[in-house]
Amino acid sequence: MREIYEGIIKSIELLLSLDGEIYRIILLSLYVSLTSTLISALIAIPVGIVMGIKKFPFKQGMIRVLYTFMGLPPVIVGLVVYLFIRRSGPLGNLELIFTSAAMIIAQTLLVTPIITGLVYNGTKEGGEKIKNLAKTLGANKTQTMILLIKELRISIFAAMVSGYGRAVSEVGAVMIVGGNIRHHTRVMTTTIAMNHSMGQTDMAIAIGIVLLILSFIVNSLLYRFQQGE
Amino acid sequence: MDIQIKNLTKTYNNRKILAIDGFHIPSKSFLGIIGPNGAGKSTLVKIIAGLDTPSTGCILYNHEGLNQRINRNMTMVFQKPYLLRTTVYNNIAYPLKLRNINKEEIHTRVQKIIGEMGIAGLQHQKAWTLSGGEGQKVALARALIFNPSLLILDEATANIDPSSIYAMEDAIKCYYENNHATIIMVTHNIKQAKRLCNTVAFMNGGVIEESGTSDEVIYNPTKEATKTFIKEAFL
Ligand SMILES: Nc1ncnc2c1ncn2[C@@H]1O[C@H](COP(=O)(O)OP(=O)(O)OP(=O)(O)O)[C@@H](O)[C@H]1O
Ligand SMILES: [Mg+2]
Repeated sequence: MREIYEGIIKSIELLLSLDGEIYRIILLSLYVSLTSTLISALIAIPVGIVMGIKKFPFKQGMIRVLYTFMGLPPVIVGLVVYLFIRRSGPLGNLELIFTSAAMIIAQTLLVTPIITGLVYNGTKEGGEKIKNLAKTLGANKTQTMILLIKELRISIFAAMVSGYGRAVSEVGAVMIVGGNIRHHTRVMTTTIAMNHSMGQTDMAIAIGIVLLILSFIVNSLLYRFQQGE
Repeated sequence: MDIQIKNLTKTYNNRKILAIDGFHIPSKSFLGIIGPNGAGKSTLVKIIAGLDTPSTGCILYNHEGLNQRINRNMTMVFQKPYLLRTTVYNNIAYPLKLRNINKEEIHTRVQKIIGEMGIAGLQHQKAWTLSGGEGQKVALARALIFNPSLLILDEATANIDPSSIYAMEDAIKCYYENNHATIIMVTHNIKQAKRLCNTVAFMNGGVIEESGTSDEVIYNPTKEATKTFIKEAFL
């Protein structure tokens, strides 16, 4: 347990040391996870809403597949993306392997089903009433979609927070497609895993604490956004 | 708006809950629909409002099928209305915003209607903090503000206290008289139907058993089912 105490001290030292490398790791983590959350949200919010208010063939089957994909192990996503983008893979000529773009792709695949599933659940609850109201007041299709997003904003933000949490905390996918290359694709989770395997537990804990603090800050910002009109 | 119902049926899980061979609601009529629970009243008006689709048959609005132009010109208010997660003012202004009306005019029209309905004091309140009856008033104001030529009310004045009910009925009556609108009102309150409607239809088991002027249906019903229903309502 001494490690945890030392980790806390070390994390404070680390943040105060203004060491360029640690800040680059933090920024890259934020950049990769926020970008994938935003890209996912752009796809997942409309898809989740449409699934929640429309009837279509094979809907039940699709939802079961979606729920399964919500729990996809990051390593598997990493592996599949790796197979596609490695030099000899079908997308090899794009030279994405071991770049931050590759990490964003993997995390987007990981997070999209999560946000879609949660938005779908939120829409299933209240979406029908909102859609009917929009219709009775004369809204067209676009206006109805905008109203749905506005009215469901609380569950949409909750879904995005969950998605971001998943992205920023996973290690398997970014490790495989990013490679934990120093100054290039090293993010917080891969740093923690590496420090741990090298026996530098205090450093691992320190970065873990930084990760938690950042999560808290990002969530607080999202929370404030969600509260405001 | 003139409404023509033709061979309308609605079936849920092989149970036919609505079967109306033909029914005409002439333009500018104020129709009351009465009948026991489960008669199919809500299902019928939801289909008219375009919120549900019939299993067979069709409805013509001014001799044409439902389209966006007609949809923009009619509205429906429910007993438990959905209020937007914003202020009362924004709720009532919303239909006007949808129609790209400018801010000043929106402001004038909202102030006018909330004054008439006696809810001016609520305009800055968040909609989710309103009582049930206040919410129904807001929903009615929101429906009337864009001058629809067809207004459908499904028990829109249930839960309203006796003094407010007259204010709401006055608002509806004024609207009817000033806008030459067609109004369809589902109600369990026969006296209210008598006060407001000029025609009444009695529904039972998915069919319109009897219809005519309010006085005919309420004071001289011909069908046994209507007689029993009205007698019990006045007990
Ligand atoms: N989605 C549905 N699935 C199955 N049955 C339904 C559905 N909607 C309505 N029904 C049935 O259709 C019948 C008519 O319902 P409706 O709501 O139109 O009655 P109502 O006349 O409005 O009654 P109330 O006076 O209680 O409001 C009821 O027996 C109801 O159970
Ligand atoms: Mg009903």
